[in-house]
Amino acid sequence: MANELQLVVVTPETTIVDEPVSALRFPLFDGQAGVLPGRAPLVGRLGCGELKMTTAGGERSYFVDGGFVQINGPTVTLLTARCLSNDDIDADAVRAELEEATSRPASNDADIDARFRDQDRARAMLAQKK
Amino acid sequence: MAKARAIVKRLKAVKNIRKITRTMELIATARFKKAMDRATEAASYTKKISEIVADLSKADLSFSHPLLQQPEEQTKNVLLVLTSNRGLCGGYNGAVLRHVTTRLKQAKKSGEELAIEVAGKRGLSYLKFQELEYAKAYTNFEDKPRYDEVEEIADRYIEGFIAGDIHRVDIAYTKFETAARQTAVIETLLPVGSLGDDDANDDGEDQGVDYEFLPSPEDILEEIVPAAFKARLFKCFLDAAVSEQIARMVAMKGATENAGDMISELSMQYNRARQSQITSELSEIIGGAAALE
Repeated sequence: MANELQLVVVTPETTIVDEPVSALRFPLFDGQAGVLPGRAPLVGRLGCGELKMTTAGGERSYFVDGGFVQINGPTVTLLTARCLSNDDIDADAVRAELEEATSRPASNDADIDARFRDQDRARAMLAQKK
Repeated sequence: MAKARAIVKRLKAVKNIRKITRTMELIATARFKKAMDRATEAASYTKKISEIVADLSKADLSFSHPLLQQPEEQTKNVLLVLTSNRGLCGGYNGAVLRHVTTRLKQAKKSGEELAIEVAGKRGLSYLKFQELEYAKAYTNFEDKPRYDEVEEIADRYIEGFIAGDIHRVDIAYTKFETAARQTAVIETLLPVGSLGDDDANDDGEDQGVDYEFLPSPEDILEEIVPAAFKARLFKCFLDAAVSEQIARMVAMKGATENAGDMISELSMQYNRARQSQITSELSEIIGGAAALE
C-alpha cells in the first residue's frame, strides 16, 4: 500500500493545493478528522477550521470554510468555498466580524443558528491566526 | 493644396486610431488568456462537484431538495443579465440584450412579473435608454469576477427561492463554447434542473467504490445542491468574462485591419491629389509661357 496521499484542495476559483502528503487533518462538520494513507473511501461534509498537512517539507496549515471532502483511494479532495493560508487571515477584519455577529439581534431559530455559525467561524479563524 | 492637406490630416487621424485599436487588441488578448486560465482552473471545482453528485446517486437516494422542486406557478421571475462594463466589443452586448428584449416581450404577454437584474454598465444604459425598469444593477464585475461577489447574489436567490418570493431565475449571458464560438443564451438556473455538468458523463472507472457518507447522503445532498448552483452561476460569470475579451479582441482586430485599408486608400488619394496639383501647376506655367509668345 502506498504510504502517501495526494491532497487536492479546490475552491470555485482555483486549485490551491495539489501535492503528496503523508498525513492530514481537516475539520469535519462535527470535529477534526485525521486521515492517514489507506483510509477507506469517504464523502463527508466539512466544517470550518484548520486544515493541517504533513508534507515532505514539514507541516503547513490552511483555514477552510465549509465544503466537502472526498477520499477515493490515495486521493483526498477537499472542495471548499474559501481556503486561506494563515497569512491571508485578516485578524482585525475577523474580530470586527465576530463583534458584528455577537451584537446582531436574533429573534428566531434560523437567525440564532446563523449567529452561532458566524461566531464559530470567526473564533476558529482567530484561534488559528494566533 | 487645400484638398491634399485635408487628406493628410485624415491620414494622421486614422493612423492614430490604428495605434489605439492595435493596443486594445493586444490588451484584450492578454486579458483573454488570463480569463481563460481562471475559467479552466474553476472547471475542476465543478467537475468534482458532479463527481460527488454521481457518487451520491449511486447511494440509492431520492433527490429531493427545495432548490430542485418546480414551483406550482411561475409568476415572479428574475432575469439576470450579464453585459460588459465597457464598449468596443462588437456584437457582444447587443446579442445578449436582443435575447433580453424578446424575453421581456414574452413576459409582458404572459403577464408574469419579471424582475431584471443587470450586471455591467452597457446593459444598464441600454435599459435606461429603452426606459425599462430594472430591480438591481451591478457594476463591480470586471474581467475577473470574484467568487465572494457572485456568492452574495447566489445566496439572495436561494433565500428568495426557498421563501417563495422568486419562482424562477434565468440568466442571459454569452456562453463560451470554444475560443472561436460564443453564443448569447438564456438559461434557467433555478429551479436546478440537473446537478453538475450536463456533459459530465461518468466514465464508469470508479464504479463500485463503496463510500462512507458523513454524516449521511441526505445531509450531503442538502449542502451540495446550493454549492452546485453557486458554482454554476460563477461559471456563467467566468464564461461571460472570457467571451467579452474574445469579442473585444475580434472587434479590435477588425478595426485595426480596417484602419490599415483606409490608410493605404487615403495615401493613394493623397498621392493622386498631389500629382494632379503638380500637373495643373505645370500646365498653368506652360499655358502662361505660350500666351507670352
